[in-house]
Amino acid sequence: MTVEPQNDLRPPETPVDAGSQALSEALRSSFSIVKFVMLLLVALFLASGVFTVGPQERAIIIRLGKPLGEGEKALLGPGLHYSLPYPIDEYVKVPITAIQKVRTSVGWFAVTPAQEVSGEDRNPLPVTTPMDPQVDGYVLTADNNIVHSRVTLTYHIADPIGFIFNFVNASNAVLNALDNALIYAASQYKVDDILTRDVAGFKETVRKRVADVVSRERQDLGIVVEDCQVESRSPRQLQDAFANVLKAEVTRNKVLDEARIYENATVNRASADAQSRINAAESERARLVNDIRSQADRFNDILPKYRANPDLFVQQRLAETLGRVLTNAQDKIFLTEGHDGRPKELRLLLNREAPKQESKP
Amino acid sequence: MKRNVLSIAVGALLIFIVGLLLFVYQVRKSEVVVVTRFGKPTRDVVEPGPHWRLPWPIENIHRFDQRVQNFEDKFTEGLTADNFNLLTSVYVGWQITNAAEFFPRFAGGAEPIAEAEKTLDRMLGNAKAAVVGKHPLADFLSPVGEGNKFVDIEKEILGIVESQVQANNYGLKIVFLGVKKLGLPENVTQQVFDRMQSERKVLTERSQSEGEAEAQRIHSEADRKAQELLANAESEATQIRGKGEAEAAKSLAEFQKNPELANFIFRLNALENSLKDKSTLIFDQRTPPFDLFRGVSTNLVK
Repeated sequence: MTVEPQNDLRPPETPVDAGSQALSEALRSSFSIVKFVMLLLVALFLASGVFTVGPQERAIIIRLGKPLGEGEKALLGPGLHYSLPYPIDEYVKVPITAIQKVRTSVGWFAVTPAQEVSGEDRNPLPVTTPMDPQVDGYVLTADNNIVHSRVTLTYHIADPIGFIFNFVNASNAVLNALDNALIYAASQYKVDDILTRDVAGFKETVRKRVADVVSRERQDLGIVVEDCQVESRSPRQLQDAFANVLKAEVTRNKVLDEARIYENATVNRASADAQSRINAAESERARLVNDIRSQADRFNDILPKYRANPDLFVQQRLAETLGRVLTNAQDKIFLTEGHDGRPKELRLLLNREAPKQESKP
Repeated sequence: MKRNVLSIAVGALLIFIVGLLLFVYQVRKSEVVVVTRFGKPTRDVVEPGPHWRLPWPIENIHRFDQRVQNFEDKFTEGLTADNFNLLTSVYVGWQITNAAEFFPRFAGGAEPIAEAEKTLDRMLGNAKAAVVGKHPLADFLSPVGEGNKFVDIEKEILGIVESQVQANNYGLKIVFLGVKKLGLPENVTQQVFDRMQSERKVLTERSQSEGEAEAQRIHSEADRKAQELLANAESEATQIRGKGEAEAAKSLAEFQKNPELANFIFRLNALENSLKDKSTLIFDQRTPPFDLFRGVSTNLVK
């Protein structure tokens, strides 16, 4: 149509001069650079959808606002994945297999980790220091006492889709539930139960309550409670008072143990003593019986001899015994008869009393 | 010609994309959208996915997060039925349920959520004051089975707030509510400490005195047991000895055959036994067998 004349007209109107030729060269080359850059940008745009999922997480692709896939199928496992570029697709990563940890924000006094490491948090405070409700956390117990307690909860996310799409900040909701469980449990336990007597029961109550609150029936947070650790401590203001109670209990137990040891020893000694008395009586009895028995036997033996000649027997026996007795006697004194036919006199100084202790100097 | 087709295609694509951007918007699963036409809300959309719209400035899109929001109210002081000052703080999970109702009330400011939470805070404050005032302190703090009504109290607060939310058509819903913190005013804590301290003292002293009393009891019990054991043993021993003597008496009958000889033997034995150790004997010439000496002096002289 009108293309022909244009072509015809151009050469004379635009004479080729070196300058404009150089300009068009430059334009052409820069245009090709722009094209290249644009292609590169498009490629980059398309490649921006590549992402990786770590071993402890899952990802969900949201296409045009809707999660891609239903339930478990929507979860992308570890590895390299591709989503279409924004605004068509978006992806969200959820930590799933990793154990999540949260610690109560109420119930513990203000303390920095550095203070905890240095043990400064265990320093007692004067009993007149009040608790500032804005700064110092504590829980109130069933017997209207103040005590510090904190719970560390470990859980894992069982329903990542619910965790992301049902809650603005699900982990915060877990924290609230945990705080609630702690306050709830403390409100029904007495201070001594929390601190010493029923630590396990207290912990179990916290665990049950938090599991109940986050459950499907209640807040449906889509998590599974793994474990909870409870740490409780008496207020620093009363540290000494509580320590004294413990000390007194230890002392009491010690005193009781000692008493029981004494009881054992005394009773054992007495029963041993009793047994030995019985044994002694037993052996005395045996000895007595045997003694008499053997004497009776011997009597029966010698009776015929005696009957044969009583006088001779008596004399013989007497002499024999005297001989034995005299052999054994230490001192023997024989008094000869005086000229008047009477035995000589012998005077003995009997010194029965002990010699006098106090002798004059 | 080829270049032209390509240019047209690219141009058409660009126009298409611009058109899409103008006429289509997305709703995410977690969102709810209110569309306003010349500032007047016309419809709210909860269905996730792409939706049609008229381009700005005819229609405007207002997005709201439909997920459950966490909100925690201030730690406020209330007076219990039995005149104790109790500080309470509750947390709620709430969400927008009806964007068309929610929007006109709270979307005036830059932060509709914060606006709504201000209202919630006020409502919670009133509800807490009302509920705390109805209960004595023991309903909050006491062992299970002794009147702990913690759960009921939470339900009551929730009930009041829920009914207010519904009555006012805020377009939102309280999903859950729980007590976050309980506390006492600062000056009261000090009284509590004083009381706790004297309680501890009582416990300490009780442990001490109980321990001593119990130990004393164990001691005397042990002594009593020991004496009883010994007394029993003693009586048993006496019985045994008695039995022995009775048995021995039977053998004594043997000696009846010749009491004279028996008597002689017993005396002989007694004599021998009594002179066993370190004895000094004094004799004169008439004592047998020393009477022999007399005989010697006479007989031998002859």
